[in-house]
Amino acid sequence: MVVAVVDPGSTDITPLIHHPVLWASAAGVFAVVILQSAIYFKAIRKAAPAAELTPGQVNSSVRSGAVAAIGPSLAVALIAVSLLPLFGTPAVLTRIGLVGSAAFDVAAAGISAGTQGAQLGGPTYTQKIFAIAFAAMTIGGLVWMLTALILTPVLSKGDAKLRKVNPAIMAIVPTAALLGAFFTLAFQEVLKSPVHLATMLASAAAMGVCLLLAHRFRLSWLREWGLGVSIIVALSTAYFMTAAA
Amino acid sequence: MSTSTATETSARFAAFDRTTSIWGPITLGLGLLISLAAALYAAFGTGVGVTPLELATAVGAVLATFGIIAVIEPVSYFPILGRSAMYQAFLIGNIANKLLPAAIVAQANLGEKPGTRRAELIAGSAIIGAVMVHITTLILLVGVLGTWLVGMLPPPLIATARSYILPAIFGAVVLQSVMAMKSRRTTIVAVVVAAAIVFVVVPLAPALTYFATALAVIITIAASWFARSKTPLSPADADAGQARRTTPISEPIH
Repeated sequence: MVVAVVDPGSTDITPLIHHPVLWASAAGVFAVVILQSAIYFKAIRKAAPAAELTPGQVNSSVRSGAVAAIGPSLAVALIAVSLLPLFGTPAVLTRIGLVGSAAFDVAAAGISAGTQGAQLGGPTYTQKIFAIAFAAMTIGGLVWMLTALILTPVLSKGDAKLRKVNPAIMAIVPTAALLGAFFTLAFQEVLKSPVHLATMLASAAAMGVCLLLAHRFRLSWLREWGLGVSIIVALSTAYFMTAAA
Repeated sequence: MSTSTATETSARFAAFDRTTSIWGPITLGLGLLISLAAALYAAFGTGVGVTPLELATAVGAVLATFGIIAVIEPVSYFPILGRSAMYQAFLIGNIANKLLPAAIVAQANLGEKPGTRRAELIAGSAIIGAVMVHITTLILLVGVLGTWLVGMLPPPLIATARSYILPAIFGAVVLQSVMAMKSRRTTIVAVVVAAAIVFVVVPLAPALTYFATALAVIITIAASWFARSKTPLSPADADAGQARRTTPISEPIH
């Protein structure tokens, strides 16, 4: 693999998205995940007799978990593949492998590109913009890990504190934050061009159809695959609109 | 011997707690450090000329938008996951769509309800299985197959995918979130606030462009809070609220 020159203003972001350091971090992340699973597995096996769990039951729980994860993992893989053109493989592996979610990471990347007056994709998507977008979305994802690290011991000690928090807060705040953020992002896309608007409508329509079918025919797997399918439909719409132009 | 003494049981659990409260944070912390290193290297080590101020602005805009969700999520998931599984869940993510269902299925298979020690160990085991499938599919389907596939795509298709991935995702995500949250009041507030900010406020005050989302989040939260139904929750509503809390918050959309 030829490692081309790193050039901040270049819109050929290939050298950067496949930078060895990014690959190394993807490998590192996966190694940590495997390490944690190995340690936890040993710990669970040791504690199992105390919970009246036979080694066989532990193993079968692992298997049940694995099987339950197949459907969702395939669905996530589809979404991850759709992000490959934008971020490249190591970045996608790191983000989706670690506390990442397509919607948040793309939103974070878009917001950070915006702070530089640029957009994801298109002529303003230079190596520098990719670097900022990758760094910002990664650091954004870190915050989840940080809050989990800080809050878990706190929550373990103080179950009582939790009950003092007004339950209405827990119900309203995250919903409001999520909807506020994503509606804003969606409306911002609308302003960019007719193709953006059409793509978004196609995406929403495809999701609507998936949810409707899932509900009507009780196909719960359609709910999982909804986002992946919608992305494909929407990108196809965009492609045909721009190709026809 | 077929039965354990009470002391032996608690000793085993104590050992489990010790191991997971040491190695859980260590591995989660390692994940954090590796990704932080990658982020900082990408920004500063590659020679693309990102300044600390530029990075801080970008990160600031992102955190102002999503920071609050990052604080609330651990609090919401803790009662369901339990202490040890928190370190697994927040390393891997994909909690609501992958790890939780895996844990619940495994618990159901062994006839165990969440909340007991036994359930905790079962959940931990199930998550390990889910994680292995997660990693494998990522490596094989995304790392190998996906990369190959994308490499075969003609440049116009790649360009389209890059340019339009944002609306392609947000259209679906917005609809999915609205349906999942099941909160008409908050949805209406969010739509109004977002529209006002994007179509009215920002054109009038372009300096606010970077922080449009953060502003929308804050105002939507405040407005939803004040617009909330003031009637005290009936037990049925409280249960529905509890159920909604355990429904995917930030993850309808993995």
